[in-house]
Amino acid sequence: MSLLVSLKREAWFLMRDRGLLSWLLVITCLSTFSVWSGLAEVEQQRATIERLLIADKEDRIAELAKQSDWGSAAYYSFHVTYDPPSDFAFAAMGQRDTLPWKHRLRMLALEGQIYEHDAGNPELALIGRFDFAFFAAFVLPLILIFLLHSLKANERVAGRFDLLNATARNDLMLWRTRAILIALSAASATILPMLLAGAASGVGAITLFSAAALVGLYVVFWVVVCVLFAGWERSAQVVLSALVGVWILLGTILPTGGRLIVDAFVPVPTGADILMTQREAVNDAWDLPVEDTMTPFVERHPEWTGYIHTGEGFDWPWYYAFQQVGDQKTEALSLAYQQGRLERDRMAGLISLITPPALLERLLAQLAQTDLRTAIAYENRVRAFHAELRTFFYPMLFQQQAYDAGKLTDLPRFVSGGAFSRVAP
Amino acid sequence: MNTVYLIAADEWRYWLRSKLALAVVGLFTLMLVSVSLVTALRMQEAAAELDHHQAEAESVFVSQPNRNPHRMVHYGHYVFRTPTPLAMFDPGLDSVTGQAMFLEGHRQNSATFSSAGASGDLGGLSWLTPALTYQIFAPLLIILLGHSAVVREREARVLASLLAQGVSGKLIVLGKFCALMMFILVLLLPLAISAMFAMANGESFLTAVSLVGVYLLYLSAWGALTLLISSVFQRRTAVITGLASSWLVLTLVLPAVAVNLASAHMPIAGKIEMELAMLTEYKDVSDGHSVSESAFEQLQGELFEQYGVDRVEDLQINIRGLLAQKAEQELTDAMDVYAEKRMSSEVQQARVLATLGWLSPMLSVSVASKTIAGTDISHYHRFLRQAEALRIDFVQGINQVHAEQLSYIDDINRNRDEASYNRSRVDASNWQLLKDFRFETDASGVRLTSAATAIGILSTWVVLLAGLLIWVGGRLRP
Repeated sequence: MSLLVSLKREAWFLMRDRGLLSWLLVITCLSTFSVWSGLAEVEQQRATIERLLIADKEDRIAELAKQSDWGSAAYYSFHVTYDPPSDFAFAAMGQRDTLPWKHRLRMLALEGQIYEHDAGNPELALIGRFDFAFFAAFVLPLILIFLLHSLKANERVAGRFDLLNATARNDLMLWRTRAILIALSAASATILPMLLAGAASGVGAITLFSAAALVGLYVVFWVVVCVLFAGWERSAQVVLSALVGVWILLGTILPTGGRLIVDAFVPVPTGADILMTQREAVNDAWDLPVEDTMTPFVERHPEWTGYIHTGEGFDWPWYYAFQQVGDQKTEALSLAYQQGRLERDRMAGLISLITPPALLERLLAQLAQTDLRTAIAYENRVRAFHAELRTFFYPMLFQQQAYDAGKLTDLPRFVSGGAFSRVAP
Repeated sequence: MNTVYLIAADEWRYWLRSKLALAVVGLFTLMLVSVSLVTALRMQEAAAELDHHQAEAESVFVSQPNRNPHRMVHYGHYVFRTPTPLAMFDPGLDSVTGQAMFLEGHRQNSATFSSAGASGDLGGLSWLTPALTYQIFAPLLIILLGHSAVVREREARVLASLLAQGVSGKLIVLGKFCALMMFILVLLLPLAISAMFAMANGESFLTAVSLVGVYLLYLSAWGALTLLISSVFQRRTAVITGLASSWLVLTLVLPAVAVNLASAHMPIAGKIEMELAMLTEYKDVSDGHSVSESAFEQLQGELFEQYGVDRVEDLQINIRGLLAQKAEQELTDAMDVYAEKRMSSEVQQARVLATLGWLSPMLSVSVASKTIAGTDISHYHRFLRQAEALRIDFVQGINQVHAEQLSYIDDINRNRDEASYNRSRVDASNWQLLKDFRFETDASGVRLTSAATAIGILSTWVVLLAGLLIWVGGRLRP
């Protein structure tokens, strides 16, 4: 009963607090803006993929029409691969601005193609988007700090502190009630626009609920920190400085330090090594004896053991065999690069446990499937697709089947991970 | 003048007595110094590594054995973008753009392997650099020290007695401003030291000084804003709220919001999309291994006339090499059109951000700082253009070798057997034509000129805010 009474009393007070109301309005506007522009970005990315698929199909049909042998058909047909944004990507663009999500490749050595990055404007990637995750993880805590740091100090300065304490049944309860009300209203102002946008774009209930719960917990964390500091018998100025200090520590100093530690502890092969190894392997093959290519090749593809390189000059099967052997020689480095990045991500995940802002951003990116793991899963789908192309063309090349353009209708199609409409090749 | 000095000196005494101020300044210095050291080390390591890779790529290329010239066109070459001397203060786009690029015939590849792509993800603010520390956190320090300057005297009723004694409000405000400017100069010391290091690494004096000057302007704007708000409001809490929310909006919210606006209002077609559009527009140049029918006939006719022959076999020059040159040129011209289109739309997006500097000085200082450090978008484009120039240079050089040193007969028979293939090789000494590549920034004067708009916006902010401050000072009420 007493809780309800004090809740009512405080709510009545707070409703008349213009400062609080304007901050709540600011939160609602910023959250709405972040969600709105996230939706626009997702829409843009989807439209880009649609356009690419159409142009890609036209280009491939036109190129294939000019070919008259399997080797050239494979050489001149490019394929667009892509990773469409998930429905929830509007809330957290995560790594999509720094990692590739679209490629255009052909049946040549994959290692020379998969690290190509059709990146957006680096100027924008550097500053970073104002997405919901950034707003919730970095801006929201500062607003909570502004709202809550002076919880007690101001009343003390204004001389109301003792009066309020005396009239409340339980002084601790009073401050807690006030903090709870502020937290509840700030959290709802943040979460509601996200929930509405999520529901409108068909995000699953579990994802939405988890995101809301994460942001809710995050708000609780900051409210607890603020209340702890606000209870400190110091001036509002000191409390505010200390809280902003905590924000800087958790939001930027620890993450920066953590990232440096992770990068130092988990080495990954440099891009230069991967590129150069790949290039040497593929280009040396031109001058190497044919056996040097075919032996490692048939180790991987015993079914083509019987193939004999006819003549001494150029021959498509041999050409594609050394493209594949080039990939085989780079395999160890490439795998180390992928595993190194995954390991860095795992360690960053551990470190983020002590840096709540980074943790929230990471978790939201996971929910939105815009994290590193999703990007690597996409990379692996591209690898699988490239392997399918080889499986498709190898019998025609190595069995020296007669060219039949009709068979090209069965060309493998890239299947994206997410549910997304596709144009048939 | 004496009054101004007394007021300024008094303000410094107040700060030196404040444990909070001293502690925060100490912490900030610690943070700045460690960030500067870490960034400097990281950049030095990157520079050494990339230089090493560059040298290695060059020596590997020139030490290739005798080869068929067209093989070398596909063998290709690598270029690496080494950081500029001032990148240790403001690495700018270095972390989000690729550092390595493969150059080969018939293709313009993208710069691959950015450090951001391989690094552990620890949130949006985990890429702290000395520049960002100044841009985001130095204003907080100025606010912390300066916010109470006027309002404190007002709350303690000192302001009333000062004004009653006939001290003009303008002088009071000016004194406080001088004290704050002194503090800002002290704050800029670590930057000045970084700039001196950059000078030792070959950066010009002009660049170093203008970088410090840009941050002086930026922090002065914050100093003026702080005192302005401190003079206007009656109560310290209102001053704090006003300044804290200005800081939040100007440094964290507006720059990121500007990114959303720029990308929503000016979407850029990606490289793949551009490539496909180019292939549609220039149907003839899709490969680079062949030229259009008409171009072939034209070239053949010209050569027959020049050498007085009527069979390609009788030419004293290998027409296939010349055709390769022509095809490469046609393709490159087409690719350049699209590459330039793409770069200019990126520049336009960047310009939207720069224009929004009228709303947030943080955007202006970040543009000016990157431009002066040579780590902005136009320097990234400069890298792409320098790499492309090198690519076309060695590819066409090798095509020239192809035309002059490999006979037409040996060339078309190269796939007959091994002996024929060996006859299609040219001497390895030809690979020396590859030029050394070192990424170089614009001259310091050029960089300053391109930073002029941003510097102009910053100066306007300073003049406006300082003017407003003096005006408010003239009307100072107790």
